Amino acid sequence: MSTVSSARPAGALYWPVQARRNIGVRSLFLVVLAFLIAYGFLFPGLFSASGFAKFTQSWFPLALVAMAQAILMLTGGISLAIGPTVSLGAVIAATTMAGPLGVTGGAAAVALTGLGIGAATGFIVVRLRLPAIVVTLAGSFIIGGAALLILPRPGGAIPEWLSDLLAGDTPTAFVLLVAIVLLWKLYLATPLGLSLYAAGENPVGAYRSGVPVDAARVAAYAISGLLSTGAGLFVAAQTGSGDPVIGAAFTLNSIAAAVLGGIGFLGGQGTMRGALAGSLLLSLMISVMFFLGFTPVAQYVAQGLIIIGAVAIPQFRKVQ
Amino acid sequence: MTGWKDSAGGRRVMAILSSRPFLTVAIVAAVWIAASFASRGFGAYGHLRYLVELGAVIGLVAAGQTFVVIAGGIDLSVAAIVTVSAISLPLLSWQADPTGLAPVLAVLALTTIIGLVNGLGVALLRVHPMIMTLAMATFLQGLLIIIAGGSAVTAENPLVHWLGNARPAGIPAGVLLWVAVSMIVLTVMHATPFGARIFAMGANPLAAALSGVPVTSTTLAVYGISGFTSGLAGVLVLGMNGQGYVGIGDPYLLASIAAVVLGGTSILGGLGTYAGTIPGAILLVTITALITVVNASPGWRSILFGSLILGLLLLSGREQARR
Repeated sequence: MSTVSSARPAGALYWPVQARRNIGVRSLFLVVLAFLIAYGFLFPGLFSASGFAKFTQSWFPLALVAMAQAILMLTGGISLAIGPTVSLGAVIAATTMAGPLGVTGGAAAVALTGLGIGAATGFIVVRLRLPAIVVTLAGSFIIGGAALLILPRPGGAIPEWLSDLLAGDTPTAFVLLVAIVLLWKLYLATPLGLSLYAAGENPVGAYRSGVPVDAARVAAYAISGLLSTGAGLFVAAQTGSGDPVIGAAFTLNSIAAAVLGGIGFLGGQGTMRGALAGSLLLSLMISVMFFLGFTPVAQYVAQGLIIIGAVAIPQFRKVQ
Repeated sequence: MTGWKDSAGGRRVMAILSSRPFLTVAIVAAVWIAASFASRGFGAYGHLRYLVELGAVIGLVAAGQTFVVIAGGIDLSVAAIVTVSAISLPLLSWQADPTGLAPVLAVLALTTIIGLVNGLGVALLRVHPMIMTLAMATFLQGLLIIIAGGSAVTAENPLVHWLGNARPAGIPAGVLLWVAVSMIVLTVMHATPFGARIFAMGANPLAAALSGVPVTSTTLAVYGISGFTSGLAGVLVLGMNGQGYVGIGDPYLLASIAAVVLGGTSILGGLGTYAGTIPGAILLVTITALITVVNASPGWRSILFGSLILGLLLLSGREQARR
């Protein structure tokens, strides 16, 4: 549990606060480091420029959806519509970018769709007081249906230069990720960002203390939608085309990454760096299994087992 | 079904009229009446009977889901368990058993064990129910593809065939099964100490544990029941379809949760009844049937389905205000 944003980081307080937030995720960082070293030994290609670029590219969409899920879970919400939202982002990118709108217009359409879907979901959950899990489950049908309407079967196109830029031999994905993390830091310093943890940890207390609880939660949903469709754009750039069901696996993986990273289901517990480390761990696991020649089916089985194990073991130790 | 007592007088009647299960029944009745005016075949006895028959599958899955949700959890593995049941049953055919009862019992035992494993993870390993059951679903999905591959398997089991197709006294056997299960579920839920413990656990797990509710065994039982009823639904769906394939259970995850919530059970636990889930299940089937009547592309159908559920939630699924 983190005593978060108790005050604006006033110089001397900043680093102790940051260090305290690391306590819960320190062992996770060690595990990720161990996995990274093992991965580096198994596949020395990681340390070349293009190897690093490829590695971060396989991690990037997972990192985005993990952040999208984590920001909701921090406010006490959850989304089961992350996967379809990723698909929708991908098909919008694939149908607009090669057309008259161009790359800028297409990217704007993707971003606006994500923000709009997120804000609408947030409004329904927060203002109409419907349970988030059911709203997003129903929403996953609506969003998935919209993706099917836009592109009934895989197709569309992404301009080649954009694919090369995002998913070529340059570490653009890594640079983007660093930029997004910096933006997240900035967001946490705004009034809405400061309210995020308070709204999740103790909504009633926060509301009575004058925290804009509802606004913080709706904003969290909007940002989550933006991150999800952004991941969709990236996936479309990776494959060079759109696919209305390409995001399906991201719903479970986003929750798994956030929970591996120590984000609690009750709101207000956990840190974004934990969620990012969780997504990195998951991504490493998937790549290692791929390289070791696991069939996709065996990957399913192993992934299910590993997630339960990774979530259960720390809990088990706490109980004893 | 909500414990009607004449002696309690008018207030009792008012309580029933304003309860959520009754509201859901009223919505179903309104939709049926409106739809039978709009489309001529809809109100025919045969069609309504068919709807209830389809609703039985959702109702069975949602029976276990209602237990789990009232106890404060959620089971996202029901779809996978339905598929496990519908695929493993055809693989188990014993020539020595002419009635086909033994394989059905074996499959139900298997799905109950899967549910118990979910319960073990939630109660003993303290994994959040959503993670535990989602991971279980992922695990089962992988396992199913290994076992069955991509092909459909045909069932040659007399009992399963009877369950899916027979109509004793004009009522489908599946509906009879649903009625029987509903009776048992309602009795267990509202008239036994076990039922009271489930509500206590869902309302406040800590207080329940401190008051002597055996939380571990109750949690195990709740997920075990969910595995059992999902398995039963799988058997029924197999009987109605004749064939089992990977993905046959997929529609029942959202449907079971939606039926529970539309019936007025709080997704946060501790509040609700299976008496609401029953009309909730029929409502869902009705919606699906109406959407099929509107001849639309898969995308539009999916959008309509999601929007209608969302709209119905606004009528009956709202949580209490926070402040």
